[in-house]
Amino acid sequence: MMRDILFHIKSLIAGHFTVFKHSFKPAVTVEYPDEKPIIPDRFRGKHTFDENACIGCKTCMRVCPASAVEIFKDGNKKTILFDYKKCIFCGNCKYYCPKSAIGMSKQYELATDKVEDLKIEMGKKDNE
Amino acid sequence: MNYLYFLYIQFLDKYGIPEIFGDITFPIFPFCIIAAAIILVVLFLVLFERRILAVFTQRKGPNRVGFNGVLQTTADAIKLLCKQNINPVGVDRFLFNAAPILVFVPIMVLWGLIPYSSEFVFMNFSTSAILYTAIAALPVIGLILAGYASNNKYSLMGGIRAAAQIISYELPIMFVLLSVAALASSVNLKDIISAQISSVWFIVPCFAGFIIMFICSIAEMNRCPFDLPEAESELVAGYNVEYSGMRFALFFLGEYASLFVMCAFMATIFLGGYLPIGNKYISELIFGSNFQFLQLLIYFEQVIWLLVKTFILVYLVMLVRATLPRLNSQGLMLLSWKFLFPLSIVNFALIMVIKYLMVV
Repeated sequence: MMRDILFHIKSLIAGHFTVFKHSFKPAVTVEYPDEKPIIPDRFRGKHTFDENACIGCKTCMRVCPASAVEIFKDGNKKTILFDYKKCIFCGNCKYYCPKSAIGMSKQYELATDKVEDLKIEMGKKDNE
Repeated sequence: MNYLYFLYIQFLDKYGIPEIFGDITFPIFPFCIIAAAIILVVLFLVLFERRILAVFTQRKGPNRVGFNGVLQTTADAIKLLCKQNINPVGVDRFLFNAAPILVFVPIMVLWGLIPYSSEFVFMNFSTSAILYTAIAALPVIGLILAGYASNNKYSLMGGIRAAAQIISYELPIMFVLLSVAALASSVNLKDIISAQISSVWFIVPCFAGFIIMFICSIAEMNRCPFDLPEAESELVAGYNVEYSGMRFALFFLGEYASLFVMCAFMATIFLGGYLPIGNKYISELIFGSNFQFLQLLIYFEQVIWLLVKTFILVYLVMLVRATLPRLNSQGLMLLSWKFLFPLSIVNFALIMVIKYLMVV
């Protein structure tokens, strides 16, 4: 009985002291729009596409679990279409690409107020 | 307070108004002072609590509105004032509206009983310590009424829990207060403080009493870990589930006002109230004992000493809130009846022995 009470009092004091010690540690909060969080190296953000490396094998289309990738091949020109409404950022397209033509950048601010903006086409479309 | 009273009477005398009119209307002044002080202190306390809890949990707390978030609680208060007052279907209109007032008014009276400095006591009764505990038990009537009138099972449960809690935690407080009264040979709060000038602060002979009082005060304020009447995870918000707008704000105001006043009461009876450490006033040390306005400065310094002691206790209460989980209702009763209540009686007996030895 007495030993129990002493044990409880001891643990109460230890608990309060632990919480008190926390008040000397810096805050872990990141105030997001003002300061950006530190992004890890292997972060999977918006895709990059290297149209010169791409051979148009369409592996990325087959491995994509959400069918978010589409490759258009017209002779030598290859364009890729990412549908960010569907994309789950699993990174399969990057992992399976035999020529490493698809990469993933650290860009994560993809929010937009237009649905059309979520379909992003990359490749040699402009200088045809 | 007497000074203010004489000024008022003199002012009325100038215009030929009889003194009886001044006697009747004078309480308006302390009322206004307390009302303004409650609003200011509560606004500050809510901000203080949020920042302190944030510090304990390694967050930053509110820091957007105003400079470093100082206007956050003001903005919250304005939002609450602008909100619609909803009367849910099936509530008892009269009791539903009366309950927040019944919670808030006794706490406001408690503010008047605390001696803030040796001249600044709003209501100086010869039995003010006893009166304090009597009035401190009154807000629970408002809580029960709020629970009953809301036509909500959660509210009713919250109200009943509040009643059970107050009954079991009033008794140890009374016994601790008795032992302090025995040490000071008085039940007047000002006399209790002046008894601490000559001897040590009463926390030294009555340390167990201070711990008991601290625990019971947390229970009386319905704060963590004794916040069973408004246990969020069990009863949503307890007795104030159905309240919104200004009436909810009154409950909120009452809760934080009682936090401050309970800590001020504990500081008064255990930590020497407005007395400085070592009975040496800082303003006396700085300006010398021949300074013209020394007495006036000392009055203000006394208020600051009381505030410092009070806020140390408030800080401890918040530390407890940040650390401990909520008790279950059985554990709450067990702690009070099986542990604190016998301990307070033992403490009372010990204090009587100490008092006897001190006199002899």
